[in-house]
Amino acid sequence: MTVAISQFLVAFVDALAPVGADLVGQLPVAGIVADFVKFLSPSNLAGIVVDGLAKASVFALIAVGLTLIFGLMGVLNFAHGSFTIVGAYVAGLVMVVVLSGGGFGARIAWFFVAVVVAFAVLAALGAFIETQLIRPLYDRPPLYQILLTFGLTLVIDEIVRMIVDFYGLQPRSAWQEALGTRPTWFRENHDFLGLTVEGMDLFEIALGAVVVAAVWLFLTRTRYGLFIRAGSEDSEMAEALGVDVRRVFTVVFGIGAGLTGVAGALLMWDPSWGASVTVGADALLPAFVVVIVGGLGTFKGTVVAALIVGLADATMTWWFQNVFVTMSWLPEVVVFAILVLVLVVKPRGLYGVQEVGGH
Amino acid sequence: MSADDAGGSNDDAADVDATSRFEGPLLELEDVHAYYGESHVLEGVTLEVDRGETVALIGRNGVGKTTTLRAALQLTPPREGHVRLRGEEVTGDPTHELAHQGVGWIPEDRRMFEELTVAENIGVAVKDATQVDRKLEYALETFPELREHRDRKAGDLSGGQQQMVAIARGLVGDNELLLVDEPSEGLAPQIVQTVADALERVSDEASLLLVEQNFPLAMDLADRFYLVDNGRVVESGSTDGVTADDERIQRYLA
Repeated sequence: MTVAISQFLVAFVDALAPVGADLVGQLPVAGIVADFVKFLSPSNLAGIVVDGLAKASVFALIAVGLTLIFGLMGVLNFAHGSFTIVGAYVAGLVMVVVLSGGGFGARIAWFFVAVVVAFAVLAALGAFIETQLIRPLYDRPPLYQILLTFGLTLVIDEIVRMIVDFYGLQPRSAWQEALGTRPTWFRENHDFLGLTVEGMDLFEIALGAVVVAAVWLFLTRTRYGLFIRAGSEDSEMAEALGVDVRRVFTVVFGIGAGLTGVAGALLMWDPSWGASVTVGADALLPAFVVVIVGGLGTFKGTVVAALIVGLADATMTWWFQNVFVTMSWLPEVVVFAILVLVLVVKPRGLYGVQEVGGH
Repeated sequence: MSADDAGGSNDDAADVDATSRFEGPLLELEDVHAYYGESHVLEGVTLEVDRGETVALIGRNGVGKTTTLRAALQLTPPREGHVRLRGEEVTGDPTHELAHQGVGWIPEDRRMFEELTVAENIGVAVKDATQVDRKLEYALETFPELREHRDRKAGDLSGGQQQMVAIARGLVGDNELLLVDEPSEGLAPQIVQTVADALERVSDEASLLLVEQNFPLAMDLADRFYLVDNGRVVESGSTDGVTADDERIQRYLA
């Protein structure tokens, strides 16, 4: 299909040739058509798709926890980005402390140890916050929970900033020592299925797919997952059928927070993110977009929206960095344009049952 | 933590055994007052349900019948008064603990988990995780028409089929008492009879406290009735021979 379109566009440009090559060359539209031809070349498109899938994996990892928590508990957790910061530094700390050299296998093995540690630390932190701080606010309007989690963001970010400062690290830029623990293979381009792909992109896609599949299996194949899905639809009915919904709340908040540990570990190894205090806000915004575009609280919607936002981000990144001008923030504008479009056309999101701001 | 933990402790079964020797009423509400915000909805409801009997709560809309069921289940916890199950005070206990002590709820509007399949809806209500398959089979034997829909989303079913699922959830929960709220509401007349037959079958296994606007149906199913008006019980007695023309009934239902 794309080959056919490319051939059509090339033929179209050729057809313009008799008009006068100089004239065509001076028309901006001709340049754009040529760029379209370049954009639609199979190898370029495949590269953009791989880049988009890598971004989608990162977005999904962050957003899945957010959507699980909102879906079951109705809590819009503004501290989710801050949990990601903690996850990135905890995973980075594990890697920096335990890793002294080692090859590809050792680095990957220790990375998964770091993922488990970050998951456990964040899950425990999440369970503590849910039981001690959020639970007393369940009977109050949602604004109280929003203010609480927003306040937690400020507290957690400042604590991390102080600790990072104390150890002489720059809080606003990626922790290079942690970044340096990733295998050399990740920094290199590799031939994969006829494409040239960066190792880190492949790793992000693989990890994202595994985590999303694991969460999906947990939700759909386990009894606890059944309780979570039932409680997400009607927590009072689930309680009346014997499900200890408060306990399920704690477990889900713990899992949601734990997943930010996994996301944080991945970001810690990604040079375009890296462990830093600013990664929280950077991660939270696209995660919110994904959750809202997918439909508040729907797992399927979140995964689909992550793919849409990731691919749109990668596409726009290519266009604005290769064709127009280098404006790194323009892809983000497009991501938020998707959000606005969905809110206007389908306020419930792609798969949502609850309207944003609805009751 | 196991799923059983979230589903409640199996110690509850022992509690049920320990109190099953209790000779008094299965459920007692004594001078129960309940509120929605500042609105005083129940103004001292007192009633009893014995083992094996079906008791109807009747009255006009908005007099507190549904709230009585919610108060019994602690979904709307009473601010004053007492709720006792097998003689044990349960006022203020979490609802899921009452569910594990054998109190089931078949709510108004069915309250399906619409994105879950029929089998999953029924599965949530099974308290012993090892018994899910057996209980599901039992529910499908009791309501054969649900068998072909077991893997359909509950939200896609008709109102009558959803009511069957709601009753099946009550049936598989090892409940000794079922609080049934408006089971015939919104159903076609021919479906109402099917639901009535289903409740008749369920009443062989559990006591029922039934809220029902359909007066003949309520009298047909119940052994006794309580007539509720303005948040209080104003009449009670056996359903034998009671008709809608009864002066006591006319005064409050007309």
